[in-house]
Amino acid sequence: MNRARQGLHVLALTMAALLAVSSAAAQTLHMPPHEKYVLKNGLTVLLLEKHGVPLINLYAIVKTGAAADPAGQDGLASVTAGLLRKGTKARTAQQFAADLDYIGGAFEADAGADFSSVSAEFLTKDLARGLELFSDALLHPTFPQSEVEKLLAQSVDSVRGAKDDPQQVLGLYYYGYLYGTHPYGRPSGGDEVSLQRIKRDAIAKFYETNYAPGNTLLAVAGEFNGAEMRKKLEDVFGGWPARAVAAPPIAPDPPAKGKRLLLVDKDDATQTYFVFGNVGIARNDPDRVAIRVVNTIFGGRFTSDLNEALRVESGYTYGASSFFDARKAPGPFGIFSFTKNETTGPAIDLAVQVLQKLHKNGVTDEQLKSAKSYIKGQYPPNIETSRQLAQIIATHEFYGLGDDEINQLEARVDAVTPEMAKQVIQKHFPSENLVFVLIGKASAIRAAAEKYAEKRDARPISEPGFWPPGTK
Amino acid sequence: MKTRLMSRAAFAVMAAVLLGAPVWGQAEFPVAAKTLKNGMKVLVQTDHSIPNVALYIFYRVGSRNEGPGTTGLSHFFEHMMFNGAKKYGPGDLDKVMEANGGSNNAYTTRDVTVYQDWFPRSALPLIYDIEADRIQNLSFDPQKIKSEREVVASERRLRTDNDNSGLLDEQLWATAYIAHPYQWPVVGWMSDIEHWTMEQLKHHFEMGYSPNNATMVVAGDVSPEEIFQLCEKYIEPIPTHAPPPPVTTLEPEQLGERRLIVRKPSQLPLVLVAYHIPQTNNPDFYALNVLRTVLFQGESSRMYQRLVDKDQIALDVSSSVEPAFDPTIVEIAIQPKQGVDPQKCEKAMYEEFENAKNAAISDTELEKAKNIRLAEFYREMRTINGRANTIGTYEVFFGDYKKLFDAAKNYSAVTKEDVQRVAKTYFGANNRTVSTLIPENSEEKAKQ
Repeated sequence: MNRARQGLHVLALTMAALLAVSSAAAQTLHMPPHEKYVLKNGLTVLLLEKHGVPLINLYAIVKTGAAADPAGQDGLASVTAGLLRKGTKARTAQQFAADLDYIGGAFEADAGADFSSVSAEFLTKDLARGLELFSDALLHPTFPQSEVEKLLAQSVDSVRGAKDDPQQVLGLYYYGYLYGTHPYGRPSGGDEVSLQRIKRDAIAKFYETNYAPGNTLLAVAGEFNGAEMRKKLEDVFGGWPARAVAAPPIAPDPPAKGKRLLLVDKDDATQTYFVFGNVGIARNDPDRVAIRVVNTIFGGRFTSDLNEALRVESGYTYGASSFFDARKAPGPFGIFSFTKNETTGPAIDLAVQVLQKLHKNGVTDEQLKSAKSYIKGQYPPNIETSRQLAQIIATHEFYGLGDDEINQLEARVDAVTPEMAKQVIQKHFPSENLVFVLIGKASAIRAAAEKYAEKRDARPISEPGFWPPGTK
Repeated sequence: MKTRLMSRAAFAVMAAVLLGAPVWGQAEFPVAAKTLKNGMKVLVQTDHSIPNVALYIFYRVGSRNEGPGTTGLSHFFEHMMFNGAKKYGPGDLDKVMEANGGSNNAYTTRDVTVYQDWFPRSALPLIYDIEADRIQNLSFDPQKIKSEREVVASERRLRTDNDNSGLLDEQLWATAYIAHPYQWPVVGWMSDIEHWTMEQLKHHFEMGYSPNNATMVVAGDVSPEEIFQLCEKYIEPIPTHAPPPPVTTLEPEQLGERRLIVRKPSQLPLVLVAYHIPQTNNPDFYALNVLRTVLFQGESSRMYQRLVDKDQIALDVSSSVEPAFDPTIVEIAIQPKQGVDPQKCEKAMYEEFENAKNAAISDTELEKAKNIRLAEFYREMRTINGRANTIGTYEVFFGDYKKLFDAAKNYSAVTKEDVQRVAKTYFGANNRTVSTLIPENSEEKAKQ
């Protein structure tokens, strides 16, 4: 419709010349050396020494996440993690905060669908105190009743507050509407109703059941001496009593059939936030690198097909993108954007067309080449800090991925052929079976939304919860 | 601050980060500096740990250089800088950069417009070719202006009109300032976004984008020599011209509390409070940061302990300051719990300010604040991106990047008495503006 589109053809020659330069420099990505060992009690330890900045990062994965929340108690894993620092055998919540802040430390704990994570960061000079604080929270929480009540009340209000910002909750509605009763359909942080059902006993039981050395991976990265660190970790975690934990399986959920649409009414919205897609891939999917290349082209960067169409060429939006949230079992795929009420229909039409075009035309050689350069050129800053590295070695271990995930990334990216791209589009990008979620002013956009699916549902954003289970 | 893309850059409290900056002397953290013949200063920080480069260009032009009718023009301009010049026409810049492994973004504040490139070192000459092209030969394609106007309107809807804190923040600045240009939003009023003219755009470009109005910072897998050579080839030939006229308006002293209310459908209320403070390069900068750390940072901070933990009337309380050329504000955000009277939160906060005025903070608190700043310094400095941004921020807002290395000294000089003095000086009732968002459901609205 505008000159940018025409411009592409005119510029083809110049572009080809410039693109030819692009793959000149071959870089080689390397995972820094690290070691793995298992303590007698079953705790898996991953150590990575990285010198230059005097910081140490700890990242623990407890291999049970929100997917294991009992029905009706969504948020249990998340609240359990949140309470680790809110009272321990050695400290009240206030003392923990004072000791942590005094050394300028950071501590975070939360639960995603697949696992719970507990992380911390300290200056190297504060190693002893930092390790002691971290282990105090991970090994010795006491879950005081007053702190339980406080955190639950805050969490309920946080959900309410999030609903004032459509962007924050669009994904939660989408996951709920896409997955229904499957564990991936539940809000990992809970909702206004489920959080009020959670009792202290359930939290203590969740902790006792799942927080055990045999169910935990601990990654430590940063500036330290390896031998010294091994000894310190043995001192601190060696006494954590061994206990058997049965890792909860997460059954794969088949992709949704047909089309359906959920319209969430936010009456004061001047902009519609929309997402649509279907079930995507697991973290260890053998096609993951080819999918990454294709999704970079389709919706994973500024010049992606989606952003070009919805932002650059039409001005419908500030941004349009697509994502694969790859998990233990196949996680969601979605196409996401937002646009003013008046252009809701045209913008969604265009996003659907871009998806259809991907299926019809595939990707060009030029796009393929560009995306490969882009992925390789942008990757190094992802393994720049000890914080990033601790998280990467822990999650790779959790998902059963090795260092080749990084060491072979460039080679695997380079090996993606147009034929492979075609195959992953057919296999992993939905075309006819689409689940839509829109948050916006229903009275203004209902008519535009109707054509996308025969099966439609609606609810006001003020209604507690995101999507009731049992819809699938 | 408004950015071109959503995913990048948390700039806001950048200059506030460096308390107790410690042992990174010049030897461990060398920065090479050169001023080009056209007046652009170039700073280079070499780091070979990853084969990548972060390149920042700070232009000293922001929404403070705008006026009624042209609010938001600096930010719109930031967007237009990606929409075509002479060699790299509309759409080329992003396509070529990404095809060569690079990515980019930009942000605009009340004071500066900053362009960011992140790329493998193999793309080095290309990036300079692109930057030189757009600084001197930007095109003004009417079609691109039309569609980009819509993009910016969508950004405004995203960050302001459909975001309670964005909406209230805009009203807060508009009320805290009655004279100085900080009063209007960086993104611009919607009616201005809809009405800028081509002439206004061209004038803004000519005003703000002279090489002598810019500072370039390069961090990463480069040598100063190669960067200076590239600058001589690509940047130095760009002619210089007059920078923006000085902003001479001074905000008159505030003589009494100002209050404003926003009513809209919402689940939770919100409170934002502003206190006027001096510009970034004022000596009180350091003592103010120590005070803010003690009061607002971490779960052991006085405000968190009081409002969130003890009284349980708020979900969160925080403070922020953006780097500024002119006297600015400390902005405090309180997220009350549902059903809590926002004034109850205000009252608790004021009592804590009074405590900080009436008695000095403890030795432990002072020590804690310095330790927090030390850790944050390392967090910021551990990436080439963080270093590029911080070096540039010091150069632009403190007048010299070397002040970065004085931060340790300046913070260790802060005494408990200094902290008490700044609490008394700046945090009085007459100096504050209070904005409150009051939830209004549809039934209540219907009754009115």
